[in-house]
Amino acid sequence: MKRIFVLFFMLTAVVFALAACSTAEEKTSGTGTDKTTDDNKSTDKEKLIIGIDDKFAPMGFRDDKNEIVGFDIDLARAAAEHMGAEAEFQPIAWKTKEVELISGRIDLIWNGYTITDDRKKQVLFTKPYLENAQAVMTLKDSSIKELKDLAGKEVGLQSQSSAANALNENPIHKEIKTVTEFGDNVLALTDLKTGRVNAVIIDSVVAEYYMTKEPDTFKLLDESLAPEQYGVGVKPGNEALLEKLQAALDKMNEDGTSAEISTKWFGEDKVLK
Amino acid sequence: MADYWQTMVLPMLEGAKMTVLLFFIAILVSIPLGFILTLAAKSRFQPLSWLAQTYIYVMRGTPLLLQLLLICFGLPMLPVIGEYLVLDRFVAACLGFILNYAAYFAEIFRGGLLAIDKGQYEAAQVLGLSKWQTTTRVILPQMFRVALPALSNESVTLIKDTALLYVVAVPELLHFAQTAVNRDFTIVPFFIAGAIYLAMTLVLTVLFKWLEKRFKFE
Repeated sequence: MKRIFVLFFMLTAVVFALAACSTAEEKTSGTGTDKTTDDNKSTDKEKLIIGIDDKFAPMGFRDDKNEIVGFDIDLARAAAEHMGAEAEFQPIAWKTKEVELISGRIDLIWNGYTITDDRKKQVLFTKPYLENAQAVMTLKDSSIKELKDLAGKEVGLQSQSSAANALNENPIHKEIKTVTEFGDNVLALTDLKTGRVNAVIIDSVVAEYYMTKEPDTFKLLDESLAPEQYGVGVKPGNEALLEKLQAALDKMNEDGTSAEISTKWFGEDKVLK
Repeated sequence: MADYWQTMVLPMLEGAKMTVLLFFIAILVSIPLGFILTLAAKSRFQPLSWLAQTYIYVMRGTPLLLQLLLICFGLPMLPVIGEYLVLDRFVAACLGFILNYAAYFAEIFRGGLLAIDKGQYEAAQVLGLSKWQTTTRVILPQMFRVALPALSNESVTLIKDTALLYVVAVPELLHFAQTAVNRDFTIVPFFIAGAIYLAMTLVLTVLFKWLEKRFKFE
């Protein structure tokens, strides 16, 4: 029995050592794992916690140094600066983004977040800042040439993304054989490569990123599903933050900051004014 | 090439640290808690026994994923007290794992107690051991020995269950594998993640083998 206690004691010591070194690490590395969010009500605090999907290239993802980068990341950082706040990026599971926001764990959802009517009921939106479309991606030699060719085919998309809404609003959805939902876009595209699905519905900005990663494998149909717009999601009831953020975004449009960030990521100024 | 491996593996090791930390915290708290639950469930004081059994039923009967979601996102949405219950994500995750695993450990220990022959109690009584001595010197060591293989099994499961951490937005090993997959559009990081999990479970397997040998008695 005594030996068990000694063993237990040793293990406890190890945990404390680990805990100590991991908190120290957190301070220095600043990967944005976790910081408490007690006073998420005030809008004038200097920390702005922004919920992002760090698997959503090129809007927000991790570069080869494991730093969070992307178009939305640069834009959010600049906006926070205009607001006199410090942006802190919190990678979240995209499926729980609204719950994260409403429960007050994050202040904003900002990562290629499409404005939809359903979401407007739960979340406050800024004015749209970027044009997007739900594009249909298939293999280069696929027989699918236009939207109506999707009839009888198997289609994949990211779960809880606006791709599902876009598809449902298009009459073609009734003729599709099955719709499979994936945790993230790459899994859907991997299934497309292996042939388990025939097409993937995906944000066009994201699709273009992956097409440069693996040229000559995929094609996008010229025809896309519903055009969409990206906006920033703010916690309902926090109109003050929304106003402040919108003012910052407007100012960045005027002074050319947004255009500069857009050129950096897309090679052209695509930001909606 | 070496650089590429480094950029892929380092974040994963960073994530593995979360996994290991959660593992130790969960194991160290839930094993004693599970033991207390076993005693409570076997208690002659009916309400206590009933309470412990209900607890075990609820925690074993619902998915750990659901429990994590409720603790992290459900608690802050409660009226009135909700705003005081916004726990740190990692703390919320630890709480979920501890509460869940304690229920499993409670059942494992119960199994250990059941395996002890009635003759052991009688022999202890004949030898004139007090109740305390019987429990700590005769029953518990045997129970621990019997429970070891099941404990080992459950610990390995715990290591793998840490992959659930990302639902409450704590980045762990598998999440960093996924970010690499999404960045580079290759599934190589999944194989690396698998190898890291295997390395961690290997340590556990060896440790428990050693413990079993150590506490062997004929």
